[in-house]
Amino acid sequence: MKRTHRLGIVTNNPNQAFQRDIILGASTTAESNGYEVQILLAPQRTRPNFTVEGLSGMLVITNCVPDDYLVQIYKTGLPLSLASHQLDSIPVPSLSPDNFEGVQLLVQHLVETCQRKRIAFIQGDLSQNDGIRRDMTFRRELMRYNLPILPDFFLKGDFEPVVAGQSLRQLLKRRQDFDAIVASDYLMALEAIVALRELGLRVPEDVSVVGFGDAPEAEIAGLTTVAADVIELGRRAARQLMGQIEGLEISGLTLISSELLIRKTSC
Amino acid sequence: MKLRKATRGQLKWHNRQLILRAIYDGIADNRAALSQETGLAKPTVSELVAELLQEGLLIEDGLGESTDSGGKRPTIIKFVPNARQVIGISVTADRIFGILSNLNGDISARHYANLNNATQQNAIDILKQVVNGLIAQLDAPLLCIGVGVTGVVDSANGIIHASQALGWFNIELANELHQHYQKPVYIGNNTELTAIAQFAFGKQAHDSTRNLMVLLVNDGVEIGVAWENATYHHGGDIGFLHPSVENAHPLNDSLSWNAIIQKCEALRAQYPNSILPTEGLSYLHIKYAMQHSDALAIALSDQIIQQVSHIVLWAIAFLHPSHVTLAGTIVDLGDTLMSSVISQVQQSLPQAQSVTFSMAHTTNMSALGAVALAIQKELDVI
Repeated sequence: MKRTHRLGIVTNNPNQAFQRDIILGASTTAESNGYEVQILLAPQRTRPNFTVEGLSGMLVITNCVPDDYLVQIYKTGLPLSLASHQLDSIPVPSLSPDNFEGVQLLVQHLVETCQRKRIAFIQGDLSQNDGIRRDMTFRRELMRYNLPILPDFFLKGDFEPVVAGQSLRQLLKRRQDFDAIVASDYLMALEAIVALRELGLRVPEDVSVVGFGDAPEAEIAGLTTVAADVIELGRRAARQLMGQIEGLEISGLTLISSELLIRKTSC
Repeated sequence: MKLRKATRGQLKWHNRQLILRAIYDGIADNRAALSQETGLAKPTVSELVAELLQEGLLIEDGLGESTDSGGKRPTIIKFVPNARQVIGISVTADRIFGILSNLNGDISARHYANLNNATQQNAIDILKQVVNGLIAQLDAPLLCIGVGVTGVVDSANGIIHASQALGWFNIELANELHQHYQKPVYIGNNTELTAIAQFAFGKQAHDSTRNLMVLLVNDGVEIGVAWENATYHHGGDIGFLHPSVENAHPLNDSLSWNAIIQKCEALRAQYPNSILPTEGLSYLHIKYAMQHSDALAIALSDQIIQQVSHIVLWAIAFLHPSHVTLAGTIVDLGDTLMSSVISQVQQSLPQAQSVTFSMAHTTNMSALGAVALAIQKELDVI
């Protein structure tokens, strides 16, 4: 009788849009290939208390568990894939939206189509690869278009809408001489729109707002975004993990293309 | 020279390629037209088409119009670009970048790994891990693998003779990968592959360019050519050349990225107020600082542009390309680079007025060129 393989998908929140779509894509692909899927919760970014016994492989979504735990799992030889997270210390393969392409598309749209010239940036969590890369690419794109790179225009966001909102409200008290905001994710972009409107500023007439990533709430708000197909990311993640289980030695990063979704908040 | 007779197998392969190419190029779309266009007998066409239908490379797609003289309506035959997939890899000094493509050059997956100063054997292991990352994402059977490498490559024998940037010398890479994957493997120089990609899948696929030259400037300096719509192609490292009598140093001493960094640091004492960073310098920093009238950036870019213009002039005089593409990280200097090079070429070489120019980022393009080379060798349809 054929042995059933079981994949563990580790997440801090299976109901949040990004995680939910990865789980959907990964589960569908894995199950159609005869694998069972088990969702493992790691809500606190601390060492999880679930067991990996009986798992054939593990997909970890973002940095929901500590890196030293991932190193420990890697050393056991259990096939491991990371979605939207990378580790430099071990050659574990990962998958990520193409941050470089995504930020390039957003800045290109703001500059070339919307004629914006003073752009502020709400940073993500700068301990995460996605946060670091989006920040780095934003700075490069400002240089490409010869736009001002002002320290004041780089706002702490941490991928937390509350933090992003606080940073923007503080900036708005000091100065309002920017004409666009790029947020490192769509939830922070939505909070930025709230903060701008509190002061009577119009979006997009006074300030364009765009963000990275997409979900129904972004679509309802008419937010211009760049988004990778996250369900596709999940499908590809399952394939990467199944490939390893079936004997392929893989290292490096699989990139998922991003698409510009022009809605109402840019111009 | 004594000519040898083609074997039956070779003849069949040749005829099969004639059929595939006629359909791929849109010259014929049914058995009668294939017979007429290729000169092959109708039973031969039918036999080969049946074989290609069986392999999934062709598909029957309804009935066409009957001819003016009437008669039976022909069955339309189409090429199936998704019938196979091809892996294209580009190896540069710091990264191995791969794509998974169908037979039309449409990319369905991208995967890369950084080399982080890996040793030769480690780097080849990482190359295999990148290929594996793409194999895990296959949607159709893998046809073949193409690999582009920086340096001097013997494409015909699949050998990397010398890649200074990678520290690879005399490696039978195609053979090693073929043994590992049991699939045909083709290798070429990255810059040459960038040129092929432009003919196969890029803008030059649709215009009148016949002879294309790519000048790549990043970690080193390379030239790639694709002549007569990529019928002939070649490429290699020119960083060791001395193209100027005034300058006794090889090109790598003035244009490789290490040389640019050293030059920047040497000039910095003269321009202490420069906004150019002391760490993490890039061509984009130079471009940005130039636009803010930074004297160090202007001095640096003047020297770079003069050197690049000199090589382009030299190469045009020798090679007579109809199109020149500037490629590599240097294209981040943007329009200033392009307009200055064009202006200097047109001033110094009036007969080169008809040469057209473009810029290209190369990582994707050389991996795509590796796909094009592999499809060209395997199916002869590009």
